[in-house]
Amino acid sequence: MTSPQPLIQMQNVDKYFGNFQALKKINLSVSKGERIVVCGPSGSGKSTMIRCINRLEKHNGGTIIIDGIELTDDLKDLNAVRREVGMVFQSFNLFPHMTIMNNLMLAQKLVRKTPKAEAREVAMHYLERVKIPEQAEKYPIQLSGGQQQRVAIARALCMKPEVILFDEPTSALDPEMINEVLEVMVDLARDGMTMICVTHEMGFARSVADRVIFMDAGEIVEEAEPETFFNAPKNDRTKLFLSQILSH
Amino acid sequence: MEVLSGWWDDFFWGSVVVAQVFLASLVLMVIFGLIGAAAKLSDSRFAQKIANGYTIVFRGTPEILVILLLYFGSAITLTAIAQLFNPEIKFLDVPPFWAGTIAIALIVGSYATETFRGAFLGVKPGSIEAAQALGMSTLQVFVYVRVPEMWRLALPAFGNHMLSLIKDTALISIIGLNETLFVAKQAIGTTGKPFTMYIVVGLIYLGFSTVITLTVMGLERYGHRHMRAAT
Repeated sequence: MTSPQPLIQMQNVDKYFGNFQALKKINLSVSKGERIVVCGPSGSGKSTMIRCINRLEKHNGGTIIIDGIELTDDLKDLNAVRREVGMVFQSFNLFPHMTIMNNLMLAQKLVRKTPKAEAREVAMHYLERVKIPEQAEKYPIQLSGGQQQRVAIARALCMKPEVILFDEPTSALDPEMINEVLEVMVDLARDGMTMICVTHEMGFARSVADRVIFMDAGEIVEEAEPETFFNAPKNDRTKLFLSQILSH
Repeated sequence: MEVLSGWWDDFFWGSVVVAQVFLASLVLMVIFGLIGAAAKLSDSRFAQKIANGYTIVFRGTPEILVILLLYFGSAITLTAIAQLFNPEIKFLDVPPFWAGTIAIALIVGSYATETFRGAFLGVKPGSIEAAQALGMSTLQVFVYVRVPEMWRLALPAFGNHMLSLIKDTALISIIGLNETLFVAKQAIGTTGKPFTMYIVVGLIYLGFSTVITLTVMGLERYGHRHMRAAT
């Protein structure tokens, strides 16, 4: 069960925005194949934590080691890490001036140095996987939110990353589109993809997460298997949060 | 019309010079504008100060003065250097074509600096972050994401800069560049018909600016191709 070295290891990570401490002594270890759901009230540091993992935010204290590489100011290492860490954003963040196909091919060509024909093949493969191959030649704005988010997931997959970070992937979607995105995510989880998902989709957490992490005020307050987390939370803040989001 | 016969050739070649100055200064203007904008947006205080100095000086002085200063300034410097090696030399200048081209590119480039700066700030940070998260280098993000998204925002103002450039080419006649206005002055000298000759120059410039305006409209349509929703 225990791999020799976790894929992601965060030790005593601190993050400040000016005087505000967004992360306080975060310790988190994620092994290959694990599926982690992170939840907590807004402003609790969930997004900041996963954004530190691919260094969209620089941490101010502690260490973060990804697949044996410590995140420092050494740029060469940084892009090597980012290749292996996919990310899906709340607002999709597709490149608006490129067709869907070019969105999926760009980083493959530039970062992975994949030949064009092969990049196109890979892109088509993942577009089929997220069930929208027919949209390949359209521009992002011509797609619905749910479709755009599925393209964003496919774009991350095209890089064949070791882990994918999801930053509230369904929060910006209309309710009727949430499921089509969650289905793709569940599918990925079944395939053994290592995932860290910031989400409030508790049904998703229950069905696919190996561990659920609850954050509040920049700290990891509680960390447990979904069964324990939902049925027998220990911390009062967790109980309060769960009662607020599950009450209706 | 009869007074014009014999001058058509000169006006034609004058127009060719105008087109050449315009194209050369356009390339330089974009380069100056991009460097200026990048400097203003950089973290380096030094680069910011240099870029601020650049836009203050070139936006704050008359264009004709910049052309004269650049031409005679470079000529005096060049002559002084040449005289170190050969005291016989009386006067050496940078060709008026290049002195003028660089001068108007610097002037309009200072306006373009502000246009590009604003347009870069208008690019949504989301797609930049996405590119970074995919492992693209700073240069790749700049070339493939920042610039393609920026130029659509910059285009309306950039069209104005191109019109300024084409009109500024007329100023270079003052340092002896044989463009259309220079030709007109010569023609007036022999024919004594200032109104006719200046009208010809005006029509030539109107022709150029119409082409530019239509080009910018086409570019704007292309730039917005992805903004048109599917029907």
